[in-house]
Amino acid sequence: MFFKQVWRNAAKNRKGNGLFFSSLVIAIVAFYTLLSLSKQDVMLYLAKVESDAVNKLLKLLPMVYVISLFFVFFLVYFACKYQTDSRRREFGMYLMLGMKRSRMFLMLFFETLLSSLVSLLIGIPVALLLTEGISLATAKVVGLGIIGHKFSFSMCAIIWTVCGFVIVQMLAMFIICIGLAKTQPADFLSDGAQEKQVSISVGKSSALFVTGILFLLMAYYLGIFRMHSYDIRVLFGIFVFGTMGTFYLYKGLGGFIGKIIKRKAPGAVGLETFTSRQVQENVLSQHKSLAVASLLLLMALACVSYGIAMGFGTKSERSADFTLFGDGQQIENILAKEDVSEMVKTSYPVYLSMKREEYWDGEAKEFDLSKFADAIANVEEPKDLVENILENLHVDYLIAESTYNQLLKSMGKEGISLDGTKVAVYSSMAREGDFGLVVEQALQNHASVGINGKEYGIESTLYYDNIVADRSITLYLAFIVPDEIFMELARETGVYGYNVRLKDEVVDEMGLMQAVSQMDEKIAQSGIEYDSFLSGIGRNLFYTVSASYLTIYLGILFLIIANTVIGLKYLIQQRQTKHRYRTLIMLGSDMEEMELSVKKQIQTFFMMVLTVAVVSSGAAIYTMFTSFTKLPLGTDLYKVIITSAVVLAVFVLTEFIYIAVVKRIAGRELRSIDG
Amino acid sequence: MDTINRILQVEELTKTYGKGENKTEALKGITFDVLEGEFLGIMGASGSGKTTLLNCIATMLRPTSGKIILNGLDMSGFNGSKLADYRGKVIGYLFQEFELLDNLTARENITLPLSLHGVTAKEAEGKIQELAAILDITEVLDKFPSQMSGGQKQRVAAARALISSPDIVLADEPTGALDSKNSKTLMDKLSAINEKQKKTIMMVTHDANAASYCSRIMFIQDGCIFHELRRNVNKESTADFYDRIVAVMAQLGGGSANVL
Repeated sequence: MFFKQVWRNAAKNRKGNGLFFSSLVIAIVAFYTLLSLSKQDVMLYLAKVESDAVNKLLKLLPMVYVISLFFVFFLVYFACKYQTDSRRREFGMYLMLGMKRSRMFLMLFFETLLSSLVSLLIGIPVALLLTEGISLATAKVVGLGIIGHKFSFSMCAIIWTVCGFVIVQMLAMFIICIGLAKTQPADFLSDGAQEKQVSISVGKSSALFVTGILFLLMAYYLGIFRMHSYDIRVLFGIFVFGTMGTFYLYKGLGGFIGKIIKRKAPGAVGLETFTSRQVQENVLSQHKSLAVASLLLLMALACVSYGIAMGFGTKSERSADFTLFGDGQQIENILAKEDVSEMVKTSYPVYLSMKREEYWDGEAKEFDLSKFADAIANVEEPKDLVENILENLHVDYLIAESTYNQLLKSMGKEGISLDGTKVAVYSSMAREGDFGLVVEQALQNHASVGINGKEYGIESTLYYDNIVADRSITLYLAFIVPDEIFMELARETGVYGYNVRLKDEVVDEMGLMQAVSQMDEKIAQSGIEYDSFLSGIGRNLFYTVSASYLTIYLGILFLIIANTVIGLKYLIQQRQTKHRYRTLIMLGSDMEEMELSVKKQIQTFFMMVLTVAVVSSGAAIYTMFTSFTKLPLGTDLYKVIITSAVVLAVFVLTEFIYIAVVKRIAGRELRSIDG
Repeated sequence: MDTINRILQVEELTKTYGKGENKTEALKGITFDVLEGEFLGIMGASGSGKTTLLNCIATMLRPTSGKIILNGLDMSGFNGSKLADYRGKVIGYLFQEFELLDNLTARENITLPLSLHGVTAKEAEGKIQELAAILDITEVLDKFPSQMSGGQKQRVAAARALISSPDIVLADEPTGALDSKNSKTLMDKLSAINEKQKKTIMMVTHDANAASYCSRIMFIQDGCIFHELRRNVNKESTADFYDRIVAVMAQLGGGSANVL
């Protein structure tokens, strides 16, 4: 009998609360996806080439998991509260019929457990499918090839998902039961405890509202204009002003709405005043939840943007796939082999060297960088970086024009033409932070350099496509010079190495990783010394995958939690004030009018949270992209815009779905009072 | 009797709940008229059908058969939007538990029926002030229900029932949640409005005290009209009328065999 009842109640709860139930399923999917990361193809591959970094990431996962459990707890708590609130009468009746409280709580616990199991039974298979999908998709995108793909199933991830999820549910239920234990049967049976109207003086609420806006503006100002200095105090200021501003804004918002209602009430018709008062009441009693939901949405938007930016940021373009070292004849023999030559698109000698000794010391013969320095000094922002560059300004390396042109040509890019009278600047650090932007801006100022007493103009473009296959070789600044000047000034005038680039068709067909791996094996057989693009890919790919993955994961989790909390908060209030709609019918309101009012309330409620979140995240994303997550030079802007548009569309769609679902539930509840 | 004076005609009204063996007849063919300006009380034991009757007239319940003719129009056939048009505009309603919306101020509560029917508070300001003065609630107009006493709440509810000048005010145990002092104040005000403005009021009550303010009382038992008392408003005091009501109530308890 007991279990039959538990079974029926749990089924009824799921049916009556689909919104919450699906949010839980999404949370489970997210948990499993996170926890099974170590078993995904990309990670398995990366663990081979970058085991240290991968291990670091895997050590980080439990912490991320605990953080997400913490947030999911709120979602579960509110949803359980919504469910138990709607069953108050039932609980009162059980108690009056002689059920012991302990038995009632036991029943609730079993119901929760049963619901958890059902959501797990749905969630985990979905998660398995999804992780397979992600695994295949990432493998395809990064060119891992899907030939070696195996179905990944992580028992450990499943156990942790189940444990974490069940514990969170039980904990939420436990806290709710503490509240229920103190409630008298009569209070259960009365038609929902009437909430006392929260009143706040108009003066105080206006002050809070204005302070909130000022604090937010302050946070935006700090973010947009003061973040370049990477000062921890600025960061702290943004955090404090932003959080407090959001809380104050919502705390004062109720009074502000009240003012608008008072002004509009004399001319209002239909349910206008009622609708606004409902919204106001919600804001007054729920301002903390609104602020939290808004901040969560802000975090969701910021996380997802950051994740995507990381995805773009670390993706570096292939320039040379291999650099071979050895004498020309030996290398020619290797490349002439049939199985090698069929994969190679082009190969060319690399002329790269330090400056000659006599130009190394001795003031007179040093490159005259004074005009270049002037051009850099003319760049205004960010000041400390400009000063830093000026202090350390040195150019030690030279690259021959012909080498760089061959590199560009192999990548399908247009070559440089220096006409024997100009030089160009190269830096492998152009993609890191603001450095590249400062130098590029300086080059726009028609800089020049003195070499051997002669003045050479500097090309206005900064070049940064990696000159050799090994990404760990960094050249702070180097000059690309006409070949004859290279021969004159270079310490080593011989060939540094031979760059090899694979055929695009081969890469497309096999996936970059597979193609490079195969070629790697063939060259390794020949026994010569070489560098491959492979190790570089490992690190880049790792950062791309881990940073994007984790932040997007958290973003999605925050998004569903914030939306579920807003939705449930509204539905809880609607249920508590259900009797008002009965009165409205008696006063001559009809169902359509009330449904319209409810829809308006829901829209306004969501919009209030969304507006602040969207404005704040606008400022946050701007701050991010202008300070620590600057998109690297040469990022395809079109691609970024398309991706942003897709993400924005998904975000808007998510909001639409949530608003529509909440509207539907609210409408169903409303119609249940008619008749 | 002139038909023009008959504001409400109830003809052969029946209401049954349930089906087959579970069928319960709450109203068994009740017929009566309410005259314009009358203060009609409906009394009866719990389960007698008085609230069902009031709910049918208030359009909260659809009768099984019979007619409810208000101002010459049969309301029993009205559908959703036409009903909404009647509620709050042609019929004013006073509830036992006041049913004020606690997130609206008194003024907003009072003007709600008007704004639902397209009239703004601005246009009705004069009327609000007039009713507030009569019902003694001027000083609470901008307060929320939680800041008022029970008596004030019920008087605000009365103002809401009267604001749109309905043809008839239906009151369901309006003194049910009030103490005796506040009950008396409310009944004094309602009775004054009935006399001075000739407002028709139909009130369901258990309370003989409240009923003594009526000009006529119908007693209902088991879904039928069982007895009727009329008060000669000019000659009979409320105290005398009260004694007569109590006598009938005592007899009601003993069954129809004891009735005069």
